[in-house]
Amino acid sequence: MGFLKRRNHSKVQSTSPSQTKETSSTNDLKTSLQDNIQNVKDSLGESSDIVIREIRIGKGGSVKAGIFYTDGLTDTPALQNFIMESLMLDIQGTELEEKLTAEQDVLTSLKDFAMTVGDINDVTNFDDLFTSLLSGDTILLVDGYSEGLVIGNRHWIERGVTEPMSQTVVRGPREGFSENLRVNTALVRRKLKDPSLWMESKIIGTRTKTNVAIMYINGVVNDKIVDEVRLRLDRIDIDGILESGNIEGFIEDSSYSPFPTIYNTERPDTVAAALLEGRIAILVDGTPFVLIVPALFVQFFQSPEDYYVHTGIGSLIRALRFIAFIIALLAPAFFIAITTFNQSMLPPALLISLTAQREGVPFPAFIEAVIMEITFEILREAGIRMPRTIGSAMSIVGAYVIGTAAVEAGIISAAMVIIVSITAISSFVSPTYNLAIAVRILRFGFMALAASFGLYGIAVGLVALTLHLCSLRSFGIPYMTPLAPFNVADQKDTLIVAPIWKMFTRPRLVNQKDQVRQQDPASAKPQPPQK
Amino acid sequence: MQNVKINPYQYLVLVIFFTVGTGILIVPSALAAEAKQDAWIAAIVGIGISMLVIWLFTTIALWFPHLTYIQINEKVFGKWIGKTVSVLFVIMATYYTSSLLYYSATFVTTNMMPNTPLVALHILMIGIVVMGIRLGLETIARSAEILIVVFVALFLILAVFISPQIKFENLQPVYEVGTKMIFQSSIYLVSSSSVNAIVLLMIFPVFINKVKQARKSFIIGHLIGGIFIFLLTFLGVSVLGAEDTARQIYPGYELAKRISVGDFVQRIEGLMGSLWFIALYFKTVLYFYASVLGITQILNLRDYRPLTLPLGMLAVILALVIYPNVVYQKVVEQSIEIFFSVFIGLFLPLVLAIVYAFRKNKFKQEPDSS
Repeated sequence: MGFLKRRNHSKVQSTSPSQTKETSSTNDLKTSLQDNIQNVKDSLGESSDIVIREIRIGKGGSVKAGIFYTDGLTDTPALQNFIMESLMLDIQGTELEEKLTAEQDVLTSLKDFAMTVGDINDVTNFDDLFTSLLSGDTILLVDGYSEGLVIGNRHWIERGVTEPMSQTVVRGPREGFSENLRVNTALVRRKLKDPSLWMESKIIGTRTKTNVAIMYINGVVNDKIVDEVRLRLDRIDIDGILESGNIEGFIEDSSYSPFPTIYNTERPDTVAAALLEGRIAILVDGTPFVLIVPALFVQFFQSPEDYYVHTGIGSLIRALRFIAFIIALLAPAFFIAITTFNQSMLPPALLISLTAQREGVPFPAFIEAVIMEITFEILREAGIRMPRTIGSAMSIVGAYVIGTAAVEAGIISAAMVIIVSITAISSFVSPTYNLAIAVRILRFGFMALAASFGLYGIAVGLVALTLHLCSLRSFGIPYMTPLAPFNVADQKDTLIVAPIWKMFTRPRLVNQKDQVRQQDPASAKPQPPQK
Repeated sequence: MQNVKINPYQYLVLVIFFTVGTGILIVPSALAAEAKQDAWIAAIVGIGISMLVIWLFTTIALWFPHLTYIQINEKVFGKWIGKTVSVLFVIMATYYTSSLLYYSATFVTTNMMPNTPLVALHILMIGIVVMGIRLGLETIARSAEILIVVFVALFLILAVFISPQIKFENLQPVYEVGTKMIFQSSIYLVSSSSVNAIVLLMIFPVFINKVKQARKSFIIGHLIGGIFIFLLTFLGVSVLGAEDTARQIYPGYELAKRISVGDFVQRIEGLMGSLWFIALYFKTVLYFYASVLGITQILNLRDYRPLTLPLGMLAVILALVIYPNVVYQKVVEQSIEIFFSVFIGLFLPLVLAIVYAFRKNKFKQEPDSS
């Protein structure tokens, strides 16, 4: 079960020297099996899913043993086939049975000769015992020993590897992360068979004991950032971590900025690409969303598909995303500013038609826009929470009825409906959900500025926004890199997507050593065979 | 605060913004008022003189590569005279902050929103200025890096789209007003864009990571800024004619209004306004930065941030009272302000250079403290 288990193991061993001195700490396992069983029962409140089975093994049943496991989290067939059977049936009449008497070291013999499973560890205190037990491992305690065996046979019903719900692509791998940490790390390992792909594990959450893994490619990653990630993760002291969003809330650089400074993804190929660029992935057990740090502004405009398709269309779509970002942010504000203050910017024909439409509308443009935006937000939120079968139909019908009816009733002008619709559609172009959230929040601010100061207000707002973006950092890296500080080499993957053979350097600043991805960029260019 | 470092390219961008700041808004009209159709020659002459001034500034600053201008004053003149000179410098920086607030606000009320009260526009502008200063020099420099792209793009759009309307007859006869007049009118350009650049000595060279390149970027940045001013003056005179350029308060904006390509791309001056807004914003920020940091260093405070808000309020009030109207402002900026700038930005540094020459040996012996 990989690195995680080994860590646990070493932790147990490192504390064992002090335990062997038979200290009277209540945390240590007792010598008597009955005491231990009683303690487990008391501590767990005799919960019905905890199974405690007492058996007798050895010659004439001279050795008493107890098997503990959590029903539903343990692989029961394996338990029966490889543990119960080997203990109770297979060893009957063998040499091993002779050894299993009270005088011999039963535990070691069992471990060495009887347990036909791969993952076995020692346990000496109740804390570790409970963590293992409640994680799905089976515990074997033998009467007369103040230590026991942890047998790793976790197994529970889980969602398989399915296509990710967010960040879908036309071309590219269809697998997405699932809720199981081990499956997720395996998905990344399958993409990167590099011995330098290192993984560190932590257990965060005093009650949930959530497994969290940090993955990075040693030698490519910036060690300072790894240290920073470790430091921030160690600082978390809370009872429960239920989703990677909880971790994100604790380790992100600025909580109050609407802009995300941590990237999350459901796609193993995105994680693999990020690791290759020298970033760090944080995987959390129980969620398909993997965090990637450091995350820069331009990263939220990058979709994995950009690198799988032709450079021309990749670049155009990248540009389209930036345009959509600006439309989603500014379209209503711009409309308000132009209709309220800067009418002269419109061609006369358009101005006349707009004015005619607005003639019967009783509200100022700002109020009109706010009504429509809020209506849209309500529809959208309802569309997500409604039962899926009626959700999409309801939201389409709702938008249509409200839009059309509102125009015909003279509450809203038709142009405003168009503006709000284009804004809404543009906000869905963003390949990442959390950047769209920032836009959603800021849009209202820009509308207010436009309503009070026109285009000037928007300009002021944009400068303030630029200042804010430039002041952000993600794990020490300026958020607007490589736009500011400007970096020529990294422009290949910013506003445009260069051909894949041209991307021979990793992003600067994110990665400080091992800059070069392919040794000879000149020979990488595809060319016809030379005669 | 000493850890803050910007790179030479960022400094170059800041210098460009500082040079073009007010320059592209009003300089063409000031030049055309006296030099008539030779305003563009005056612009070139002005840029030439400016380069000398900048060379003087960089030379002074590089004598003490670890000190800001305020600290240099104190070091060269001694504690009390130095502080007095510094106070004058801070007064100049604060005064120009308010002056620029007034510029940007009147620009908006004249062209877009005549009924908006000035104080509202002042507060809005000083709001983002204070925000920028509080976020620090690095943030300002990075924002400048992004916005210079917008600035150059808009400027190119303006220049390309207005170029079909260039009439070379407007430039003739060339060199009519004579050498004396051309030099005389270029003084305004020199004072507003290069003599006032003394405030940039609060950044250069202390807060720049490569001092050698920084000097180059100071000079090149100033040259690029000068080219922008020259281009706009040239376009102004050749499209609008000398008289019209002189009459307009904002000849550049008038150019934007006249853009008409294929009867489709027209009336885009609302968007073009961002051109002046961005440039004015950064110039205001740099003045305000000099004034805030100046006070901090005169009083030997540790952090400048607590000063930003009160000083910002002060600047708003000052902006409301310094000019009663635009005509007054135009007279003041072309007479009194020139002397004011030249005294603080050119005369005092020259005195400083002379004093330094006499006391040179003393400075050589004691190594730089900070």
